[in-house]
Amino acid sequence: MPRTSAVESPGCPPLRVLTADALGLVKVVEARGKAGTPKVVETWGPPDASRCVVAASFADRKKKPILAVARKNGLIDFLNPLTGDAVATIKFGESGSADCAAEGDPIVGLHLFKSRKPESTAMLGVSLICTEKGKACLRSVAKRDAQPDLDTDSQSTWSVCNAGQVLCSSVDGSENYALFGGKRVELNLWDLANCSKLWTAKSPPSNSLGIFTPTCFTAATFLSKDDHRKIVAGTNSHQIRLYDISAQRRPVISVDFRESPIKAVAEDLDGHIVYAGTGSGDLASFDIRTGKLLGCFVGKCSGSIRSIARHPELPVIASCGLDAYLRLWDAKTRQPLSAVFLKQHVTSVVIDSHFSAEESEVVEGPQPVTKQDKREVDKPELCKQRSKKKKRRVDADTNRKKIKVRDAATDALADDDDDDDDDDDGHISF
Amino acid sequence: MGKEKKRKGSCEAEAEAVAERGGGEEKRKKSRTAPSEIKNKEKRSAVHAKLKREKKILKRKQAKARDAAYKKAIELGEEPPEKKVPRTIENTREPDETVCRPDDEELFAGNDADEFSAVLNCGVTPKILITTCRFHSSRGLAFIEELKSVIPNAHDYARGTYDLKKIVEYAKRKDFTAIINVHTNRREPDGLYIIKLPDGPTAHFKLSNLVLRKDIKNHGNPTSHKPELVLNNFTTRLGNRIGRLIQSLFPQEPDFRGRRVVTFHNQRDFIFFRHHRYIFDAKEKKEDSKGKATQAAKGKNLPEKKVIARLQRVEEMKYSMYCCMLATLTTSTPEKECGPRFTLKLISLQHGTFDTKGGEHEWVHKPEMDTSRRRFFL
Repeated sequence: MPRTSAVESPGCPPLRVLTADALGLVKVVEARGKAGTPKVVETWGPPDASRCVVAASFADRKKKPILAVARKNGLIDFLNPLTGDAVATIKFGESGSADCAAEGDPIVGLHLFKSRKPESTAMLGVSLICTEKGKACLRSVAKRDAQPDLDTDSQSTWSVCNAGQVLCSSVDGSENYALFGGKRVELNLWDLANCSKLWTAKSPPSNSLGIFTPTCFTAATFLSKDDHRKIVAGTNSHQIRLYDISAQRRPVISVDFRESPIKAVAEDLDGHIVYAGTGSGDLASFDIRTGKLLGCFVGKCSGSIRSIARHPELPVIASCGLDAYLRLWDAKTRQPLSAVFLKQHVTSVVIDSHFSAEESEVVEGPQPVTKQDKREVDKPELCKQRSKKKKRRVDADTNRKKIKVRDAATDALADDDDDDDDDDDGHISF
Repeated sequence: MGKEKKRKGSCEAEAEAVAERGGGEEKRKKSRTAPSEIKNKEKRSAVHAKLKREKKILKRKQAKARDAAYKKAIELGEEPPEKKVPRTIENTREPDETVCRPDDEELFAGNDADEFSAVLNCGVTPKILITTCRFHSSRGLAFIEELKSVIPNAHDYARGTYDLKKIVEYAKRKDFTAIINVHTNRREPDGLYIIKLPDGPTAHFKLSNLVLRKDIKNHGNPTSHKPELVLNNFTTRLGNRIGRLIQSLFPQEPDFRGRRVVTFHNQRDFIFFRHHRYIFDAKEKKEDSKGKATQAAKGKNLPEKKVIARLQRVEEMKYSMYCCMLATLTTSTPEKECGPRFTLKLISLQHGTFDTKGGEHEWVHKPEMDTSRRRFFL
């Protein structure tokens, strides 16, 4: 018999992942059932290289979730992640900040605020946009059918850095602080309420040979959701650094990892585990308190990792990159769960955590236990055993109906603050 | 069909009978001892030789039976029994979801948008810069000379002590479309970088089995015509990308009068490079004689062979050329081989131009990927 290297895929729990790629396509990957194999269920958008997605952000709410994708040509599309309809499109740089042309100054960072509620019904929400030359912009976005004068009223623009090239940005869990870093740009932290700089990092001293490594941050994130003081950053010189802004300006811990630049970092929910992906396809998890390498995610991945996403409830992480695969891993055991071939260079991945269980339960009718409204809480709750049992297949074509039903249900539940401590672990065992 | 089956059945029965005879002897032997268990070396080798001879005879008999069945079928005007296809590593390649399919719209959209479309679709003439590593050798330089004769519009530059990154910048300014860098180790070329300009990708190949022109017996000399290009077996997405990278080194309108062919043949992830000049007259004669022979043998039920006229239609020529290539790669060559002969193996494909420190890889060969002999990436 020919020896083959097919690995038994344990399958993954029901989840819904959205990816955006270099041809501007947004693909939806869904896994259904107990141990389903994820499949591409929908592809949105025409293939066009100028619409290459450079950044994506997802407001992961139960009510009215929005996916924002920033494209290479300076357009930012706001999509309904359930149906794929474009809710709004803005051209960055055309109004107010006319000096940054989209061609010479591409967008590198995009964040859609989850907790800030839009003032009027015509508004979609607020987003933070950052370009390569350091133009940061807080902008509220109007729906497409709203009056055009609403578009520009609340917009504030400032410059993050004078020289250099911004490569990474991040917004903390409470969405009050933003972080920027890049090539020849030290990490700096900004207060978004009044657009003022709070803190700047300082590069580490030259080493014993007197060699100084030039600053180049390629990835950055906040370590935990409720603390904006601890920052994890990955550098071009394959280092993962932990900064504590209450302690010092230089890194508290700095860990070397292999030989290629750290292209993506993502934090775990527990506040001390960090996932880092490199330019040659290595993915590893670190305990950043001690700087210890917990282990690598081994799975024949050979293309640069561009984006890592952690599921807010299940122990699953998703990684994607230039090898055109979306890979799903078990965060605890570091085993590959599944890999989906997406045909293009995938630039970003987000996980829709409100998939399957909730919707079907709402549709079913009266339920004995009320649920916490997840919009209000930043710390995600474990999903309940009860809801897991009731998991049911959701048809993709009834998505529109579901949104309506879901909205009605959440409105009904909004005043109900019953916090049930049904602490059954929602983690699905594989 | 029924008849054929019967024929097959009878043939099989014959084979079985033969096998039985052989098998019976074997059984007897087995009941005694296996040759490996005999301790006396002379005895052991004698028994082993005997066994081997028997096996050989059996095989020959089977082949004869097969031949006879085939001839009989031809004589009776039936369809000959199907030839068995031997199981090879390529046949039993592991299923791969990244293999390109002709009905894949996204693939074509991606191809239209990639870095090579400027040369392949928009009519930009490729202009290649060839250089060496810092410490080159005479053999490396000879190889570069021959590469220059293979690739039209290639210019070689002395490396000096420039960084490759600086050379990339220079070449971008001078409107080169690609850089080829030949790396030499111990006076033998052993690596090849192909850097597509202006913005990547960069492919790094291991180069082996280099035979220069003067070492090829009875070699031909290439003309300065634009060569035709044959790319074989680049099936997966990665292979498609590598194929397009190689394609973008050559001008897109070959000069068929030159009768020059450059072949990149991929087999089990090794890319074999060959450079030929084919001759139509010789080919024609050969095909004619072959055709006559086969016609005489097989009768009239053969489809009429295409007679290849000289320089009539491009399509026909392409077809003939392809036949030539297949022939040259498997059997003796009716035409002249010229130019170097070497083998490439992909080590890494990098996104963007050459950057060892901060570069992102699209694909790197990692030892953990070598889990099976039947897994190929190109």
